[in-house]
Formats: sequence, structure tokens, C-alpha cells
Amino acid sequence: MKRLICLGIGLLVYAIPVETYARPVSYPGGWTVSQTNNGEANTLLLHYSPTARYSLGYKFEYWRDGDFTVNALQMNNLLKRWNNEESQANLYLKSGIGIAHGDHETSPAAYTGLATDWEDRRFFASYENRYTEAGDVDDFFTQSARVGVAPYIGNYGDIHTWLMLEVSHAPENDEKITITPLVRFFKGVQLLEAGMTNHGEVLLNAIYRF
Amino acid sequence: MKPLHILIALFTITITTPALAGQTITVGVNGMVCDFCARALEKVFAKQDAVESISVNLDEKTVLVNVKDAETISDEDVTKLINDSGYDVRSITRTEEDSDEPAL
Repeated sequence: MKRLICLGIGLLVYAIPVETYARPVSYPGGWTVSQTNNGEANTLLLHYSPTARYSLGYKFEYWRDGDFTVNALQMNNLLKRWNNEESQANLYLKSGIGIAHGDHETSPAAYTGLATDWEDRRFFASYENRYTEAGDVDDFFTQSARVGVAPYIGNYGDIHTWLMLEVSHAPENDEKITITPLVRFFKGVQLLEAGMTNHGEVLLNAIYRF
Repeated sequence: MKPLHILIALFTITITTPALAGQTITVGVNGMVCDFCARALEKVFAKQDAVESISVNLDEKTVLVNVKDAETISDEDVTKLINDSGYDVRSITRTEEDSDEPAL
């Protein structure tokens, strides 16, 4: 029941225009490698996009609170994109299936979640949620939202800077709410984010496309 | 006709015929808001044999496609490439780049 309530809250919040961490689908034939490190987990994702509608990849995760890892095949689907002259919005389904390893247990694992984002060249907002089921190892729900503003607007090839605020909710963690101010630097096919959570943990994310 | 006359005729034709340069297509694109978008369009258009070069302008939300000499890309093909990249076409404008300078 608790999980259903959380999922319901997540879907409700989802109606508000908010984002994904970064676009999980690339251009046709594009590869992406991304690495995230925050208070909750360390992850590494390598994916390939056969079309601009979906991507397939391998994901490794280490979840700090539960002290377990997940190795999974991940598929990201672009369910809907809204292209406007000044802005773009997206709705994604991100799902994975693999194996979770805990201290004493190993179990099949699966996860799925919705992600949405809206951005123009000045403002950014996003939201995503995820439910993970890993048998005896763990099961949990997480969700996060971001807002951002670009202090200046650069053209293609310039260094773009974004000031962002992320709020994440992990109902089953000791620290249920985490707030992270962060700065995003974005140039060409490279993206770097750095921040510090209200619990004193470092956020460091990077993306490279090729 | 003597060979000298033929040479003079050929030279005259050569210096009075405009060079056939490529065409420039300016595409207004919706949804192009970041460098990832720009890179996606660059990659997709660069794979086309008919494309000489491409330039993306995020301020104008346009893509400038320079087509190779004697090649062409239809509006339908341009629209398909943009759509396949994940974006929408707002407008397509073509500029012929035939040069008045003689081809030497």
C-alpha cells in the first residue's frame, strides 16, 4: 500500500512539467556514456540509440543505503516529444532488467519509471520516478525533480552554464528528502554537473555523446 | 574548323558560363534548444552524400545545409531527416548559389 501511495504521488507530481536528468535517447546511431554520483547511488550507463525514439544499453548501479549493486540491460523509450519554436518537452519510459547483488543475496532485478522534462534556452524543469524490485535484495521507490536557469544564453559550441536545484525523495531511506543545489556545464557533446546535497554529500555527474 | 578556332570557342564558352555551385537550404527547426540537438542534426545530415556542410544556429533555430554541386535534397527528404533526428520542420528556404564569376 505504501508503495502504491508513493507511486500515486509520483504520478500526480508527474503532471507538473518537470524533467529527466538528461536526455536518455540520442540521435540515430548515437552512443552515450553517462556517470552519476550522488548521495543515493553511483551509476554508469552506456547506451546506443538505433533511432531517436529509443535506446538500449548496459547500466551498473551501486546503491549506498542498501549496499547492493545492480547490473542491468536498460531500455529508454521516448513516448512523446513536444517540439516548439522556443522549447522542447519530453516524456520517457525508462526500464531495466538484470541482477542485483547484496551482501549475502543475489536476485533478479527489474525497474521502471517515467521521466519528463521541459526546457527552453533559459529555463529547465524535470521530474522522474522509478520503482525497483530486486527480490530478497531490496525494493524501493524514488523520485526527483529539478528546476534550472541559465544565467546567460550561449550559442552552439559555447560553454553553457545552468544553475539548478534538485529535490529527491527516497521514502525508504534514512534521509528521505535530499536537496541538491548544483551547477551544470554543457559544451557540445559533453555535460558535467557538480553539487552538494543538504546532507553534505557530493553530486558529480558526467555525460559524453559520440 | 581549324584547331585554333576550336580552342578559342572552348575558351570563350568556359569564361562566359557561370559555375554550377551548390544550393543552400535554410531549415527552421522546432525543438532545437541545446547543443545535443545541434549535434544530432549535424551527425544525421553529415551522413548524406549530397551534403557538403551543415551549420546550426541555436539563436535563430535554423540549420543551414550546403548541398554539393550538381546534387539536390528534396523538401521531403529534409523533413524526414529532421523528423528522424527527433525534431520538427518549421520552414524550408532554398537559395541558389550559381556564381556570376567565370569558371576557369
